[in-house]
Amino acid sequence: MSDRGPDDEADPNPDDSWQGRADRALERLVDASAVERILISLAALVLSVVVGALIILVSGWVATCQSPFFSASGVGSFCYDPISVYYVLFKGAVWPPYNVAITLKETTLLLFTGLSVAVAFRAGMFNIGTQGQLVLGALGTALAVLWVAPVVPAGVVGGLILIAVGLLVGALVGGLWGAIPGALKAYADANEVITTIMLNFVASGIAFTLVSEVFKDPESQTVQTRAIPGFAQLQPVFFDTTVFSMLALVGALALGGGIYWMLNGTSFGYDLRTSGVQPEAAEYGGVDSEKMMVSSMALSGALGGLGGAVYVLMVASRWRTGIPSLGFDGITVSILAGNNPLGVVPAALLFGALKTGSLAIEFQLSVPKQLVGVLRGLIILFIAMPEFFRMVGARFRFGDDRPSVATDGGAETTDGSDADDHGGDDR
Amino acid sequence: MSYAEPSRKRRWLAGVGVLVVAALSAVELFFPASPVAEIVNIIDANYIRSVLRLTVPIAFAALGGIFAEKSGVINIGLEGLLIISAFTSIAVAGVISGGTPTQFQLWIGFAVAVLASVLFALLFAVICIEFKADQIIAGLAVWLIALGLAPFASKVIWGQVNSPPVATLNNFDLLVVEANPPVVMMLVSVPAAWYALNRTSFGRWIEASGENPKALDTVGVDVRKVRYAGVLLSGFFSGLGGAGLALGRVGQFIGGGATMVNGRGWIGITAYLFGNYNPLGAFGASFLFASLDALQIRLQQLGYNIPSELIGIIPYVTVVVVLAFVGRTRIPSAAGDHYESGEE
Repeated sequence: MSDRGPDDEADPNPDDSWQGRADRALERLVDASAVERILISLAALVLSVVVGALIILVSGWVATCQSPFFSASGVGSFCYDPISVYYVLFKGAVWPPYNVAITLKETTLLLFTGLSVAVAFRAGMFNIGTQGQLVLGALGTALAVLWVAPVVPAGVVGGLILIAVGLLVGALVGGLWGAIPGALKAYADANEVITTIMLNFVASGIAFTLVSEVFKDPESQTVQTRAIPGFAQLQPVFFDTTVFSMLALVGALALGGGIYWMLNGTSFGYDLRTSGVQPEAAEYGGVDSEKMMVSSMALSGALGGLGGAVYVLMVASRWRTGIPSLGFDGITVSILAGNNPLGVVPAALLFGALKTGSLAIEFQLSVPKQLVGVLRGLIILFIAMPEFFRMVGARFRFGDDRPSVATDGGAETTDGSDADDHGGDDR
Repeated sequence: MSYAEPSRKRRWLAGVGVLVVAALSAVELFFPASPVAEIVNIIDANYIRSVLRLTVPIAFAALGGIFAEKSGVINIGLEGLLIISAFTSIAVAGVISGGTPTQFQLWIGFAVAVLASVLFALLFAVICIEFKADQIIAGLAVWLIALGLAPFASKVIWGQVNSPPVATLNNFDLLVVEANPPVVMMLVSVPAAWYALNRTSFGRWIEASGENPKALDTVGVDVRKVRYAGVLLSGFFSGLGGAGLALGRVGQFIGGGATMVNGRGWIGITAYLFGNYNPLGAFGASFLFASLDALQIRLQQLGYNIPSELIGIIPYVTVVVVLAFVGRTRIPSAAGDHYESGEE
């Protein structure tokens, strides 16, 4: 792929931009072989659990409580026992049985945001703006359903129409909002990492203002829209709860399969992946890279918007402030899954379980539920450094005799130069 | 795209800014009763003082970002470093004093906060330089860890994500004006950073480490050490920014939502991209973003019937517009790359 020497180091390469760097960084992640990806993800999980345990110990040492689980003179007392914290964290995700529904609810929502981030990643874009796309998509859904509801018959037929309208509008609004950073990157070279983060702030500001000034529920003190009619909500099938619908989970799983097929079985998916991994090659192959940036970000935004729609139709039954940070969790889900739409399923399930379990640890052990936020960051941190695991692996002779090709876009040379950063596509 | 283009755009944009200011001044002069004039009237010495205080976290994050990225390590975790130091400053001052810190204890909190930020930056540096982590994703992780860790620790210490309020650092008399300590530090740091980057051999090493590490290696300077210095400086400056925000202006840690830092680290990144890696330009851009922030605060105080959330998004919209306008900047050519000495 590349026979260029290290002399390229000093080359004032036109693609030596933030974006160029980020693109190559992405490509290294995207290209990792499946087995290595899974190993790295698992190792990152284990390490996060270990570091998380240390954090639990230290914070338990800082906190004051009635009955510490361990205390020693000279050291102090420790309020939280990491093992029981993790035990409650995982048990709380499935017990009592009602919590299974809560876990699956979180999983369903994270499937949408995880897929949203993964699609952008595959196209070589960092979409950190899924949260904003979700917030505005949710608002679009709530308003559309409220607007159409009076003209449809109450009942199953009306419900189906409203749900279809809600999903469509949510995807549309999210897609349009996602297309903005795509267009800014394509036509103005604006870095999408920063624009998407900024647009998150803008989206929540706009949504809050619209609801508080125009669409506020007059009977409520808090800033929220009126509730959508009950027959427009996604109906539970197995669990008798108002916050989880098996239909939504099945839909999300089908969507994951569809995205997988789209990426691997269609020419659009092929173009999307090539423009993500090898933008120049894609251009030679006749792909309009600008259009690809906009459409992949629009698709990513639409998935985020769908997440918002499902949040309204299944969970909240209205737009309200304080929408959980599903978009940021989606980043972790996608990175943990190696940006593979099928890998997103177990990753979303894991994070769904962690979210539910975090409520249990706060309720039962008074360990703050923000612990899961820390674990989320740690997982990303460890996945960012595959080299670390490779070094550890080499030290313990985990059969690492072959040159580590996979994560470096196949450009690792046997002479060990740092050619991995010139992964053969940067011109 | 030629490299000259962003610079031309930047000048153009600065020109537009000057025109807007001139137009507003004219309105105030000729139509003193119009609403525009009323807004322009906001701009007085007090307004400038409050803008400078709002500039502190943005400008310090920007200075830190410049040193890290010029040395070849893109640090997008600045937001996280600000959060860590804002939290640490309040927590340390509060805990060592039992709730009502004296000025001396506030300064101890300030110092420990800077140290905490430097330690976090050291962690980031080790991960990026020794373990060749992907810098963008590791930076994202630093932000997300801070976003989880600070409210987590707040709950452990205070039982809620927000700290109880504490006093802020006293102003001191500087010649004839009362000066806010973090503001003074910023006004000293900006020219000092400019001097260090442009007139010292350390500045030349930083430059070479990001542009041509091989050449630096050839003349016998350890590229790794220079990059460590760059990243640690980003931690140091972000520490000053976060502690300056918490102890110099707010007097509380607020951990809800996007925390009290609320995106200022990200605005700092945009500020140095807009300022083209020049500390003076980055300060100018930070001042611009802060003045928009101050304007929305003032408009709210004046009771304009504009929803505060809508005015609150002005700085973020501006960042997007500026970024769309400036677009790609000329970044150091080896930034983001790993470098290993002695390898061919």
